[in-house]
Amino acid sequence: MTPDDEELERFEKRARALLEESVARIDARTRSRLNQARHAALDAAARRRRTPRWRSFGLAPAAGVVAALALAIVLWAPRHGQMLPGAEGPSSAVEDLDLVADGETFDLIQQDDGGFYEWAVAQADAGSEATS
Amino acid sequence: MSAFATLASVYNTPVAMHGDVDFTDSNTTTDSRALNQFLASVELKAFKIAQSALRHEHDALDAVQDAMLQLTRAYADRPAEEWRPLFYRILENRIRDMQRRRSVRARVMAWLPAHRDEEDDEPFDPITQAPSEEVTPPRRLELAEAMTALESALHELPRRQRQAFLLRNLEGMDVAQVAAAMGCSEGSVKTHHFRALKALRARLGEFAP
Repeated sequence: MTPDDEELERFEKRARALLEESVARIDARTRSRLNQARHAALDAAARRRRTPRWRSFGLAPAAGVVAALALAIVLWAPRHGQMLPGAEGPSSAVEDLDLVADGETFDLIQQDDGGFYEWAVAQADAGSEATS
Repeated sequence: MSAFATLASVYNTPVAMHGDVDFTDSNTTTDSRALNQFLASVELKAFKIAQSALRHEHDALDAVQDAMLQLTRAYADRPAEEWRPLFYRILENRIRDMQRRRSVRARVMAWLPAHRDEEDDEPFDPITQAPSEEVTPPRRLELAEAMTALESALHELPRRQRQAFLLRNLEGMDVAQVAAAMGCSEGSVKTHHFRALKALRARLGEFAP
């Protein structure tokens, strides 16, 4: 071992002793906080262990099952002739949506200047006269 | 005593702890006690290492607390001999995150009008902040000066060198454990450690401890 190495070794020993002393002199407040942090971490780990894994996801599985059942009923019921009250058929809802979303049809009604409504009233009057 | 010997003795030492949770499973209780013992054995040194890197007491406490939480949450089931390197790797990651965040914050704050430094929100309490061991005033002053010089020199070191030096000399880990904690080869640890030693010696000069 060279003198330089010996000097480095002595330096390292002194530095280590100083570091250890500085650890021993950590103040009471910091020690208390570290102690609290340790117990908080251990308590969190204990709570985690005591909670069953499926419960850590809350009600997500139950909600998923309910949503899947609801979707299955909606898809399955019309095909087997069990119409929901007020439903006209499997495609009626989709057609209604198409009508509402169709901006062209709405524009035609707007441009009609009320002629359509006059015609509809006249048809209704004619119908009621014919029946009476 | 090696870190492994310390951990092995943990299992043979039943310790009643404040804050322990009442477990019904005896294995869980043993694990919890071992974890408590392990964390108690590293917390002060970990705080010093974090403080040396961050030079801020609150940030150092936060870093140690986060490392404890992450270890207990994610790695409590791992073999006890893996805890030490894992814990110090987590701690180093937290320190790096904080340093990055701090540099971003400093850049942002440089653009803002003068702001209040929120470092010391709590009032000074001479009782709680007193050092834990009684030391004579001249000796205390001498130690404080030497420690300040050493901490300053440590802070100037490159991150990997500082980490290798502190894990070897403060935590007392062997080269293999330090390599596991730093995620590098044992050869790299030896190189970092030797360079740190040379740099500290050169920097401290007459102030050498």
